[in-house]
Amino acid sequence: MASTFEVQDISFSYEAIPAIRGLTLHIGEGDRIALLGANGSGKSTLLRILDALYFPSAGSVTFKGDALTEKHLQQEEFFLNFRRRVALVFQNPDVQLFNPTVFDEVAYGPLQLQWNKEDVIRRVDETLEFMSISRLRDRPPYRLSEGEKKRVALASVLVLDPEVLLLDEPTATLDPKSQSQVVDLIQQWKGTAKTVITATHQLEIVEDIADRVFVLEAGTVIAEGTPSEILSNTDLLLRANLIHAHRHSHEGVVHSHPHLHGHSRHEHEH
Amino acid sequence: MSRHSFLESTLQGFTRAMSKALQSEHAATQPGLLQQLDPRVRVIGIFALVVSVIICRRLEAIAAILLVAIAIAVASRVSLASLAKRVWLVVLGFTGVIALPALFITPGEPLFTAPALHLSISVQGVRTAVLLVLRVETAATLTTVLVLSTVWTHILKALRSLHLPAEIVTMLAITHRYVFLLIETANQMFESRQSRTVGVLSGSEQRKMTARTAGVLLSKSIELSHEVYLAMLSRGFRGEVRLLTDFRLKPRDYAGLTAFLFTGCLAAWMGR
Amino acid sequence: MEEENPVEIDEIMHIPDGYLSPSTCATLYLFAASGWYAALKRIKQLLATRAIPLISVFAAFSFVVMMFNVPLPGGTTGHAVGVGVAAIVLGPWGSILAISIALAIQALFFGDGGITTLGANCFNMAIVGSFTAYGVYRMVAANSKLNSRQRVLAAAVAGFVAINAAALVTAIELGIQPMLFHDASGTPLYAPYPLHVAIPAMMIGHLTFAGLAEAAISAGMVSYLQRADLGLLRGVSGLAQTPGPIIAGASPERSQGRLWWAVALLMLFTPLGILAAGTAWGEWSSADLMNPHTREQIGAASGNHAPPSSVPVGIEKLSNLWTAPFPGYAPRFIKSPMFGYLLSAMFGVGFLVLASLLARVVGREWPRRNLGS
Repeated sequence: MASTFEVQDISFSYEAIPAIRGLTLHIGEGDRIALLGANGSGKSTLLRILDALYFPSAGSVTFKGDALTEKHLQQEEFFLNFRRRVALVFQNPDVQLFNPTVFDEVAYGPLQLQWNKEDVIRRVDETLEFMSISRLRDRPPYRLSEGEKKRVALASVLVLDPEVLLLDEPTATLDPKSQSQVVDLIQQWKGTAKTVITATHQLEIVEDIADRVFVLEAGTVIAEGTPSEILSNTDLLLRANLIHAHRHSHEGVVHSHPHLHGHSRHEHEH
Repeated sequence: MSRHSFLESTLQGFTRAMSKALQSEHAATQPGLLQQLDPRVRVIGIFALVVSVIICRRLEAIAAILLVAIAIAVASRVSLASLAKRVWLVVLGFTGVIALPALFITPGEPLFTAPALHLSISVQGVRTAVLLVLRVETAATLTTVLVLSTVWTHILKALRSLHLPAEIVTMLAITHRYVFLLIETANQMFESRQSRTVGVLSGSEQRKMTARTAGVLLSKSIELSHEVYLAMLSRGFRGEVRLLTDFRLKPRDYAGLTAFLFTGCLAAWMGR
Repeated sequence: MEEENPVEIDEIMHIPDGYLSPSTCATLYLFAASGWYAALKRIKQLLATRAIPLISVFAAFSFVVMMFNVPLPGGTTGHAVGVGVAAIVLGPWGSILAISIALAIQALFFGDGGITTLGANCFNMAIVGSFTAYGVYRMVAANSKLNSRQRVLAAAVAGFVAINAAALVTAIELGIQPMLFHDASGTPLYAPYPLHVAIPAMMIGHLTFAGLAEAAISAGMVSYLQRADLGLLRGVSGLAQTPGPIIAGASPERSQGRLWWAVALLMLFTPLGILAAGTAWGEWSSADLMNPHTREQIGAASGNHAPPSSVPVGIEKLSNLWTAPFPGYAPRFIKSPMFGYLLSAMFGVGFLVLASLLARVVGREWPRRNLGS
């Protein structure tokens, strides 16, 4: 399978605080990946590095054979090409909705890539239709619900039909209905050439959105595997702070059970 | 002003700002006179009338423009009651009060004297006070009608097509968009502090709290700007901003523009 | 422009349409536009592509801070403009843009504040305010550590002086209106109060309310940032270094440049000095003492002592002998048109110095880190 991202032993720090240390991974075309980790594990930072917004202080990142360095991104042609092919959906939709109306927001990408006016309008309306938000066309972002904002954010990147989708906690802060809509969308891309990399800490969606999982902890990959492999490895999940252990007592004996809330009912032994 | 009420005032201010914004959006969708004109024509036309208000030297001419402004307001489905509340009373309370001493201290021929109080109102004083108040009222009416009848994005695009630099228009757009987010954030911060405050705070404690809230808001704002920057980069921003403007002038726009400019010039000439 | 405060004169800093003549508006628009142009160029050189979101969001922040009621001594409240903080965090050029944009939003979207006077308001608060705040802050803070008390004091003084400088410039603009623009019978056509009324009236309001509010907010925020986010106090060069594409940093101010700022500020301030020497407090006409509104103001400015209920005979007499010179100064000038011209001239020279500084700054080349672009 063709390679999409080759990340080789990268490190990155915010001021003096290390966020990524010695991280290596390989992602192929059409892969659906989940980056699993607790807050602070470095998954958001990794996504930004993959989107060439941050550049590692050590190691290398290549996208389809091209090195993602600051110098390379200064070249206009490569820049525009990359920005069209790789898209990042931020965790906080408010930062991604910086245009006056929904229409303007979705039109922003094509406009920056210098499409002509008619194509922009046509494509934007198509995308709004696809995401079922056509009625929000002229709405300003401060009058949207969380679910609507998320759909606009998705529309604003899908309008360019990118090859790679980087999703940062796409279901956080959403109500269950909106969550399932997002998950459905990601499932649609199964088997297509689109590469989808989702960073999340919500274990319950992992099986639906990914075929391969990387577990992150303290800025590095501590495990890799299929969803069922990873999700059944409770020690690993505990270590990565993705599940927690409650203590409770029965008739004078104290038990400790690692489990996760919101997952399907589970039985445990006493 | 009592100890807690300064917080109340601030919170009320926030609510007022939000409701003004909503009011704007509502009025802009009405099928009125201004709404049917190209936004550029509206901006230029209203601006021309405001300029003629400033140029006029005679009360009668300014009063005439005020009547025109009211007529435009009515034709554009802007309620006179909301205009009164939002503009006329406010201006009266502010400029009206400021103009009051002018009645007494402007030198000139006395109109009315109260010898016991050593007070004298001059003709010039009356004229200047009325002139000022009328000017301010008329200009404010015009700008409010423009703002109420025009969607913000259209104002921006009108400014852009009138050759305001793209960066400035982009900054205005982004600022406007995030004002509401920050108002909401500040609102929440103040409300939570309000509910956590037991008893009455001293003046300096209140000041500290206000400054601290402003400080937190600043940190959040700077962080927000970093994130927005990354989001813009991610979608192809390289320093230049491209906007979509698709206004086309129709015959009624030419007619409207002519009407505005003619009225403005006529008033300025008659009021010279 | 909300009225929460019985003494509203301090809020006339945002001049509405109708107070200034067309030529005044046009002139000030020109001044403001040159300031905007220079600021935009400079801030793009300092921050490159980062400038747009940073200035925009900061402008939104300023807008919201302008809405805060700042509790002041005496149980009153005032409003800050935020120019102190803006100048400290963004530097003078960023501050010019951020405050101007906040004012523009106020006028264009909320319909508060005049559109013919937007240039004037931006010139007064955003340009004069920013340069003054920045200059005073740098002078008082000198080379003290970022987290020292000296910085907090510097912020307070900078905010206070900046607001009063803006108020003074505003007062001058308003005060020269009746002298320059009146009809044949002597009726003022725009702002009706001459300099000797406008200046004391504006300055009293700002020295006691808006100036203190600005000082409180500026000092309070610097104090907060010293504990919570020290990096923001490093100024605009610090902002350029956050993660993301690296751009060329700003070069440090040369001390020689600071001297020129000081000169320019002094020239802008000289008119204030002349008046202060004549003690603006106390220079009320008998009409002022009788008017209930100004009585309130006088009372508030006099440590909350109510002024006498009838015009003291002494003041009555002095009012008529207003032109008699006091020992040492020459208030005889004050009522004459010449004084207005003198003030304008000082102000103009001060502005010319600033303009030449602007020109120098815009034309200057910095050492740039070559990024292969």
